[in-house]
Amino acid sequence: MMSLAMATENENLKIVQVWHGGKFQKRLQEMGIYKDSQIKVIKNDIPGPLIVDVKGSRLIIGRGQAQKIMVEGE
Amino acid sequence: MDKIKIALAGNPNVGKSTLFNRWTGMRQHVGNWPGKTVEKKEGSFKYDQYGMEVIDLPGNYSLTAYSVEEVVSRDYIVGEKPDVIVNIIDAANLERNLYLTVQMMELGANLVLALNMNKFAREKGLKINKKQLSELLGVPVIEIEAVDDTGSEKLLQTIVKVSKSPNVVLDRLEYGNEVSEHTKQLEKIIDQDIPQLDAPSSWIALKLMEEDPEIIKKIEETGKGQRVLKEIKKIQRHFNDVFGDDADAAITDARYGFIAGLVSESVKKPKIDKVTRSDLIDRVVTHKYLGIPIFLLIMWLTFQITFTLGDPLGGYVEEAFAWLGETIAASMGEGFLTSFIVDGIIGGVGGVLVFVPLIFILFLILSILEDSGYLARAAFVMDRFMHKLVGLHGKSFIPMILGFGCAVPGIMATRTLENERDRLLTMLIVPFMSCSARLPVYALIVAAFFSAYQGWVIFSLYLLGIVVAIIVAAIFKKTIFKGMSAPFVMELPPYRLPTAKGALIHMWERGALFLKKAGTIILALSVVIWALSSLPVGVEYGSQESVTGQIGTVLSPIFAPLGFGEWQATVAIIYGFLAKEVVVSTFGTLYGIDGDGGGEEASDEEVSANETASVEQVSNEASGEQVSGETAVEEASAEEEETALEEDPGYIAVMQELFTPLSAYAYMVFVLLYIPCLATLAAIRRETNSWKWPAFAAVYTFVVAYVVSFVVYQGGLIMGFA
Repeated sequence: MMSLAMATENENLKIVQVWHGGKFQKRLQEMGIYKDSQIKVIKNDIPGPLIVDVKGSRLIIGRGQAQKIMVEGE
Repeated sequence: MDKIKIALAGNPNVGKSTLFNRWTGMRQHVGNWPGKTVEKKEGSFKYDQYGMEVIDLPGNYSLTAYSVEEVVSRDYIVGEKPDVIVNIIDAANLERNLYLTVQMMELGANLVLALNMNKFAREKGLKINKKQLSELLGVPVIEIEAVDDTGSEKLLQTIVKVSKSPNVVLDRLEYGNEVSEHTKQLEKIIDQDIPQLDAPSSWIALKLMEEDPEIIKKIEETGKGQRVLKEIKKIQRHFNDVFGDDADAAITDARYGFIAGLVSESVKKPKIDKVTRSDLIDRVVTHKYLGIPIFLLIMWLTFQITFTLGDPLGGYVEEAFAWLGETIAASMGEGFLTSFIVDGIIGGVGGVLVFVPLIFILFLILSILEDSGYLARAAFVMDRFMHKLVGLHGKSFIPMILGFGCAVPGIMATRTLENERDRLLTMLIVPFMSCSARLPVYALIVAAFFSAYQGWVIFSLYLLGIVVAIIVAAIFKKTIFKGMSAPFVMELPPYRLPTAKGALIHMWERGALFLKKAGTIILALSVVIWALSSLPVGVEYGSQESVTGQIGTVLSPIFAPLGFGEWQATVAIIYGFLAKEVVVSTFGTLYGIDGDGGGEEASDEEVSANETASVEQVSNEASGEQVSGETAVEEASAEEEETALEEDPGYIAVMQELFTPLSAYAYMVFVLLYIPCLATLAAIRRETNSWKWPAFAAVYTFVVAYVVSFVVYQGGLIMGFA
C-alpha cells in the first residue's frame, strides 16, 4: 500500500483508503475516486499536481490531495 | 400551442451548452438563479407544433447539497417539475456520467438520455449497445452529436413522446440488501408521518441516510419528523457498527455498483486502453519542461491578437465619442447642459466604452481556449508556481493574465474557481496587474522625466504590480483567507474543436453583461463626478474653484508625504478612479487651463481636442509595443509622434513644475496600485453580489498604494534622489 502521489505512471491501481473527509470526499466520490475504485496515474511530475485516469476520464488532482489517497497494485 | 418544459442536465464539459445554443440560438436569457451567484440560462424554440422552453441547469457531477450548483439543480427538478429532463452524457465517459443519471432517477425525474461525443468514444474503442442500456435503465437513450445535427430530430421526437407519457423508474435501482432494507423502513415512516413532501419518499429516505443537511432541515421544519430522525440515527449507528463506515459510503458504492453492472452488460471496452489524439497532444502540452513555454506562447499570442485587433477598434470608438462630443458641443453651444452631456456622460461612459472592443476580442479568444479544453491544461501547468508563491491553484493564474489586458474580464474569469475563498482572493489581486489603461499614464510621465530609461521604468512598474500581487496574496492567505489551501481536483476534458456559434455566444454573454451592468453604474458615477466638477454654478469645469478642485485642495496634504501634494495631482487621482487613463486627460485639461505654459494661444476646446487625439496615439503606441514582445526597453517610443502630448515642451514644463523625477515615479506607483477603476469595482460587486468586497478592495488597495508610494518617495529621499 502506498499513496497515490508515489505511484508510477500507467500502472493500474486500486484505491484502498481515502483519507479525506466532508465536502472534498464527496467531490472525489462523485468524480469517481472512492474506496475500491480503480485508478491509473497518467502523469506524475514532481513537483506539481498529478493527472489520473478514473473510469475513462482524466482528472487533475493536487499533490497534497493525492498523498491522502492510498492505493495498491492490482 | 402546447408547451414543453425541458431541463438540460449533465456533468460539466459534456456539450450541454453546445446543445442549448444549437436549439435556442440567440433566443436565450442569461441571468442568475434567485439569490445565488450561479448563472441561469433559459431559452425557447419551436418544434413541430410545440413551444419548447429550455433551461440549462448548471453542470454538476452529483445532486448532493455540497455545492450551490447542485442545490439549484435539484431544487429546480423537485420544485419546478420540468416535463422532461434531457440528461446529456459523454459516451466516452459513461460510468462517471451515469452517477448523476442514477441520482436523477432516484429523484423521480422524467428522463431522456442523450449520448453525446460518440465519435470520441469510438476513437477510444468503446462499443455501446444503446438498446441494452435503455432497457436496463428503463429510460430512452438517443445517440446525438451536439456540434452538428446528428440525432437531433430523434431526440426531439422522443422528448415530445416522453412528455406525454412520463416514465418514472424508481424501481430499477438496486442498492443491495442492506441499504434497500433500511430505505424501505424509512420510507414507510416518512409516508406515515410526513406524506405531503414534494419529492418521492424513497429519495428523501436515501438523502437522509446520506446525512444531507438540506433535507434534514426540511424534515425538521415540518415539525413531524421526530420519528424519522430517530430512525435515521439508529441506521447510522448500525452502519458504523457493521461496516465501520457510514451509510453514505455504502450508498455511493451501491450506485457505482449498479452502474458497473449496467456498463459491463451494455458496453464493450478494448482490452488495452487506446491512446487518443487528446492524449498525444497532452504529452506535449502538459510536458514537464515544454508545458510552461507553450503556455507563455499561447498567452503572448492572445495578447498580440487582442491588442492588434482591439486597439484600432477602440480608437474608432474613441473617435466616435470625440466626434459626438464635438458635434453636440458645436450644435448646442456653450452651456451647462452641453457640459453635462459632453464632459459628464460622453466623457465618463465613452472613456470606459473604449475598452469594449478589447474586452470582446479577449473574451472571444478566451472562449475558444476554454471550449477547446486548453485552459484546463494551463491551470495544470501553472499550478506548480502558483502553489509555491501564492498558495493558490493554477486556475487562479488565468484571471491574473487577463488582468494585464483589463481587470474586468479578469475578475469575471474567476468564475471558473470553485472555491469561494480562492475566488475572492484572486479578485482582490487581479487589479494589481498593470492593465492597458495605465500605460498612457506611464507614457506621459516617463516622457517628461525618464526619457532616457523609459522602457525600464515602465517595465519596473509591471514587475512591481506582480510582486505586490504576490506579497498581498501571501499576506491575505495567512490572515483573512486563513486556512488550508482548498483541495484541488478538476476534470481535464478531452480537446475539442470549438464551434464558432458557441464561442461567439460565449463572448456575447460575458461582454454584454459588462456593457449592461458596468455601463449603468459608470453612467451614474460619471454624472456625480461631473456635478462635482461643475459646481458651484459658474466655475470653470474641473478648476480649483469647483467642488472637485476644492476637494483636491483639501485632500492634497494627504499626498504630500508621497511627494505629490499639489491639488492638480490629487484631482487627477480622483478622476482616475473613473478609469485610470482619465489621469492623463485630467492633466490635459489642467494644462489647457494654464495654457500659458505652452505659449499657445489656442482656445480651450481646441487644445483638449488635440490632446484627446494625441493621448489616444500614445495609448495605441504603447500598448502595441507592449504586446509585440520586443523587450520593454522599446516600449512607449511615443516621441516619434510629432503631435504627442508629452512632446509638447509646454506640457513637459507644467509636469516638471508639479513633479520631481522621484515624486513622478512615486505618482506612477500610486496610479498603478490605488483603488481599481469603477468598472473593476462594479465587476467585483457583480461577481460577489455584495458591496462589501468592492468596498474592501477600494480601501485596501488605497492603503497598499499609499504605503508603497510612501516607501518609494521617502526611501528615495533618504537615498539622495531629489
